[in-house]
This record gives sequence, structure tokens and C-alpha cells, in this order.
Amino acid sequence: MTTTTQGRSLAQARPTRIVWTRRRRDLLGDIWTYLAYLLILAFFIVPVLWVLSLSFKTVREVYAYPPRLLPNQLTLDNYHTVLRNAQFPRYLLNSLKIALLASLGTLAISTPAAYAFSRFRFRAKGTLLIGILALQMISPLVILIPLYRYFAALDLLDSHFGVIMVYLATLTPLTTWLLKGFFDGIPISLEDAGQVDGCSRLQVLWRITMPIAVPGLMSAVVLNVILSWSQFVIPFILISKNKLQPVAVGIFNFQGTYQSTATHTVAAASILTMLPAIVIFVALQRFIVRALLAGAVKG
Amino acid sequence: MSRRVALPKTAALERPLARRPRDHPWLWLVPLLAVTGAFYLYPALDVLRFSFTNASLFRPTYSYSLSSYASLLRSPDFYYVLRITFIFTAGSVLLQLLLGLLIALAVHRGVIRNLPGSVFTRAVVLAAWITPGVIIGLTWQLLLNEANYGIASYALTRLGLPKIPFLSNPIWALVSVTVANIWRGTAFSMILQYAGLQRIPHELYEAAEVDGATPLNSFFHITIPQLRPILLINIILITIYTLNTFDMILPLTGGGPGRATEVIALHTYSRVFNSFDLGKGAALAGIMLVISLIMTLIYSQLLRSEEAE
Repeated sequence: MTTTTQGRSLAQARPTRIVWTRRRRDLLGDIWTYLAYLLILAFFIVPVLWVLSLSFKTVREVYAYPPRLLPNQLTLDNYHTVLRNAQFPRYLLNSLKIALLASLGTLAISTPAAYAFSRFRFRAKGTLLIGILALQMISPLVILIPLYRYFAALDLLDSHFGVIMVYLATLTPLTTWLLKGFFDGIPISLEDAGQVDGCSRLQVLWRITMPIAVPGLMSAVVLNVILSWSQFVIPFILISKNKLQPVAVGIFNFQGTYQSTATHTVAAASILTMLPAIVIFVALQRFIVRALLAGAVKG
Repeated sequence: MSRRVALPKTAALERPLARRPRDHPWLWLVPLLAVTGAFYLYPALDVLRFSFTNASLFRPTYSYSLSSYASLLRSPDFYYVLRITFIFTAGSVLLQLLLGLLIALAVHRGVIRNLPGSVFTRAVVLAAWITPGVIIGLTWQLLLNEANYGIASYALTRLGLPKIPFLSNPIWALVSVTVANIWRGTAFSMILQYAGLQRIPHELYEAAEVDGATPLNSFFHITIPQLRPILLINIILITIYTLNTFDMILPLTGGGPGRATEVIALHTYSRVFNSFDLGKGAALAGIMLVISLIMTLIYSQLLRSEEAE
């Protein structure tokens, strides 16, 4: 298989010499492609590998010179230290709670809105869609400035409820666009058929459209869980109590406390923080790529 | 919503679902509009209002004035921050776009030719994108550190090059922050370009080849023009993402040394939450807001012309 299927039919019609040069060019191209892969992988893997390596090292080896990628003596002590730490496991739990609630809440809010944008005709539709998109572009930092004041007045600072409401506001615009795209892809004739059989709009949505939309909804949830897990600036500003922090903020405090004395502990904590996101990503890569593509360019 | 009852069959046939006048889209939109209105739109407008006051973060009273903008425009700090932000953004956008395109081309070629490792390479690049920003900052901090465990310095020594103060020299720190941001954001450009490449009809390349075009000719006369709309959308989106960068820089350099890596988001934050100067912070936030709005307008125009084609 040195030529593509389309290429082969053309190539067969041509003299052998051209086929031969084409083969040689393809082989050369393959070599270049692998060279590119090698460079890409080096750039993207080495930083993470280095943190992974530090996380398994003893203090003495962390500061040893010359540094080695593979430690002489693997130790799990750093992970023990992190997980026995008074705060760190709580950070992880807080993140889990916030990410799940925010993602499910986002789904509950965005699904009906996306359905309406996809299926109904109304005057302000175009404007509203662009307006929602515009919100999505504004940095959360900008809105957090007044939100901090309101939350202070309403006694919502240091509350997971308050934080989750802001997560919802930042996640729903993109999710609505994403889901609208998925609903647009479901033929309206299917729903008309359901309608003919005497189903109401809600029954049609529940029995016909939703089951088809499940992969799309999954993509949205997965993407939102990952985005919520990574979210930093919202809890960083709105939560100051250590025991309420999600892990993204917790690890930053952790760095402030331990970096100078215990780099290996910070490395282990970093690995534990990124692990859930990476695991979800590897397991559900298909959904994430789909969501990413649908979210940015339509079609 | 539940008062919607099934219409008689004939009426349903006459009016397919999409065109029924009795639909009330607003009911379906209320939750979205309420949440985004209360927690996004209103605060965004309020930022603009605060930017015309002399408010402090904790003092309840304030009066309206143009002093925030006036003192911002007079302050040399502001222009310094703008310059840092510009260098950081331009460097990130340019290289993310270029690197993203190169990776997309390599992976696209690999997938077409069924080369093993193509999907793996794509996944590794994407994994960088889903890594939390704080962790990316921490990772690069460990990598570029000037202590013994900073492996970047060690690599330079092994190559016989002098050590580089990656995080303690102002210029190098800005370079480091930009490189870390390229590491983070390239996946997004890559996946967009990859999708774009898949949409280019293969016949175009075959026709060009029959006409005797070299691969380089095909690249500049087919690939680039065909990708143009996506490239433009890509530039807009990564510009906004980069301008909003906050989480990654904090653990990497904290904005330092001095203020060498204090981009506009970081500067805004420290104005409001370290100096408690709400008025000036809001003015900075207002500037960020206006930039995002302009970018969104361009983006929506691009989307519209994309759809029209």
C-alpha cells in the first residue's frame, strides 16, 4: 500500500517510471513524517516525563547533578506524602464535586436552549446566538471583578454554590452552541414523523431526538468536566478558605508552601492533579475531539 | 410546557414542527438567559460602569469620574503591560498557528497513508491542551528552573552552550512564558487545521499533479487558499485565548522577574485584588472587554461568510 486508493487508479494508467518515482517520493515523505512525529513527541512529552520522573525521586536524587531522567531508586514516598497531606485529598474531592455539578447543571440548562435554537424560528435568534458567543469570548477575570463585590454583599464568597453558578455562566454559552450543532445534524423529518404519530413536542424530544443526541450530550459533559477540573481563576478569586479550594487552586498554594523545600512533593501533586483529566481524555478521546471540532467550526 | 397537547393528525401534517406558531422558544431559553444574564452579562456591563468611577474594592461609596482612564493612559506601567502582552500574544499566535499547521499536515498525511503512530501523536498533542493551566505553568517551572533539577539548563550544558537564565532574566522569562503557552495552545490550532485539511477535495491535488505541480506548488496554491477561512477563525480564537491567559503564568513566573511577564490579565488582577483599586482595574477590564467584543464581531462575520459559501 504505497499509494492511496484514488492515486492508484491514476498511477496504473501511467508509465512505470512515474509509478517508481512516486513510490520513492512517498517513502521519502514517510521518513519526513516520522521525523516530524519524533520532534513533536519530544516537545510535548518530555516536560511531562520530567515531572513524572521528579515525582518518583528521593530528595537526594532531585538535587543530584547531573540530573537523570530515570531515577536510580524509585520511591512512592512523595505520593504518600501528598495523599496523607491534611488538605490535598480534600482539594481533589472539592474538584470532583464542583466539576460534576457544574457539568450536569450546564447540560440541564443548555439542552433546552440548544434545542430551541435549532428547531424554533423566532425573531431575535441570530442576535441571541451571536450575543451568547460574545459572552463566551469575555475572560472570566473581567466579570469576576464586580462578582466579587456582589458575592461579598450576598455572603456567597467561600461557597461552592456561588462558584458553581459562575461556572454555569461560563460553560453554558459554548455548550449551547455545541449542542445546537448536534441538534442541527438530526433530520427534522424524524421529528415530523413522530408528530404525525401523535406525540407532543416534548414527547418527540424525549423519545426521538434525545436518544439520537446522546453522543453529542456525552461530548458536552466530558468537555465540561475537563474544563471545570482545570478552571482556576473563578475559585482563585471567589474562594479563600483553604478547605473549600478545588485542586487547581490547591496545587498553586501547595507550590507556594513546598516548592523551595520539597520539589518532589510538588511534582507528585502535579501528577495527581493532571491524572484525572488525562485518564478521562484517553478513555473518551473520540468525544472530546468531536466536541472541539463542533465547537469551533460549524460543519 | 406540559400544556402542549398532541394536535390532530391533519393539522400536524399541515404544519411540520419547525414552523408551528404556537411554539414559545422563550420558555426553553429562560434558564440559559437567566444564568448568563445574571452572572455574565450584568457583571460585564457593571465593569464598564465601575471603570468610570473611583471605586475601591471594599469601600461602598464612590463617585463617577474619568480619572481611572486618565491615570491609566498617563501611567508608563500601562504601556509596559501592553507591550509585554503584545509580544506574548503575537509570539504565541504566530507559532501556535504555524506549529499547529505543521502537525496537522504531518498527522493528516500519516493517517491517509495509514502510518502507525499518527493517532498517538495527535493524542499526545491534545493531552497538552487538556492539562490544567496551573499544572502547565508548574511543569515548565520545574523544567526551566535554574536549580539542579532544571533539565533545560542541563541540556544546554551538555550541548556545550552557556546556561540561560530562563526565569530570572526579563527577556528570557517572556520567551519562556510564550513557549509554555505555545505548548499549551498548539493542539487547538492543530485540530482545527486537521479538520480543515480533511475537507479539501482530493481531486484538487490529483488535477494539480497531472498538470505537473510540485508538492510545494500544491501547498501554496491549493492547501493554503482552501484553509484560509479556518486559518482566519483560528487566529481570532487563539488571540482571545492568549489575551485571557492568567492561570499558567502565575505558577511559572508570577508575572516576574519584576513585571517582565505581567500580561494584561495579571495586571488587571493585581490592580483590583492586590491594590484594591477597583476603578483602575475595571478600566483595564473594560479594555479587555472591548478587545474581545471586536474579536467576536470579526469572528461572527467570518462564520457568516463561511456559511454563505
